[in-house]
Amino acid sequence: MTTATAPRDQLSATFGALADPTRRAILAQLVDGEASVTELAAPFEMTLPAVSKHLKVLERAQLIERSRHAQWRPCRLAPAPLKEVADWVERYRVLWEDRFDRLEVYLEELQQGRSPRAEQANDDDTEPPAGGARGAAR
Amino acid sequence: MTASNSPQVTTEDDAVVVERVFDAPPELVWRAWTEPEHFARWYGPTGFTLPVCEIDLRVGGRHVWGMRSPDGQEMFSTGVFSEIVPLERLVTTDAMADADGKPLDMGGGHPMETTVTVTLEDLGGGRTKLTVRQARWPDPGMAAGAGGGWSQAFEKLAEALPEIAA
Repeated sequence: MTTATAPRDQLSATFGALADPTRRAILAQLVDGEASVTELAAPFEMTLPAVSKHLKVLERAQLIERSRHAQWRPCRLAPAPLKEVADWVERYRVLWEDRFDRLEVYLEELQQGRSPRAEQANDDDTEPPAGGARGAAR
Repeated sequence: MTASNSPQVTTEDDAVVVERVFDAPPELVWRAWTEPEHFARWYGPTGFTLPVCEIDLRVGGRHVWGMRSPDGQEMFSTGVFSEIVPLERLVTTDAMADADGKPLDMGGGHPMETTVTVTLEDLGGGRTKLTVRQARWPDPGMAAGAGGGWSQAFEKLAEALPEIAA
């Protein structure tokens, strides 16, 4: 969370660039390796300038890189922003899995009447955390 | 315990979706989500307590959750309920907040806010399927704009990531 500003902006740029089917198809093509603009345009009924426009958006979002060396300036995937998207999803997935685990144990406790404190637990900070109950219930 | 109890996780668009079948009736699952004394017992990460748990359960009502880590650090989050269908559906936002429950500005003038949709499905026999969908965008319109099923392309990309990143 200490560097929350930058990831948010990068993530927004990433999601924005991904919000178009043509650009997603271009990225999917690049998974197989670098390609020229002509190669990338081949599957689409689209002019080269139109494809170039999409490539510029992807480049601005840092989802692709274009070689400055070769004359034909091949495009290739830049993995970092995509990894950020994957990381974001993964972080929340783990969080919810963990919460569901504790909810499962707590619901079990409630139904077995093993949690008499549940009705007045709110003002009690000193009680053992849910993790302790979870260990006992498994 | 049974195969149907194992969690299902998918990513769709910009959201993470987690679902699981619980051996409890919807009434109980709903209370666990909406009554502070119950919610505080399971929501925080393992080892954390939830000393602050305010839930104003009405559309436009706010919740404030304050967690305390094992080493005493406190973290607050807040949000506003936008949809409440008892025993069925709960939609709220979730954002980091300060100790007063005021959303933190995480840059760009916007709080870093997500939308959380909780859905309960009564499976009968005292079982409930719980689905949580947490979407990155606070505005559903933006999520729709980013939709159109880019999950497939994304999955392919995500699979390829380890080797690309190497």
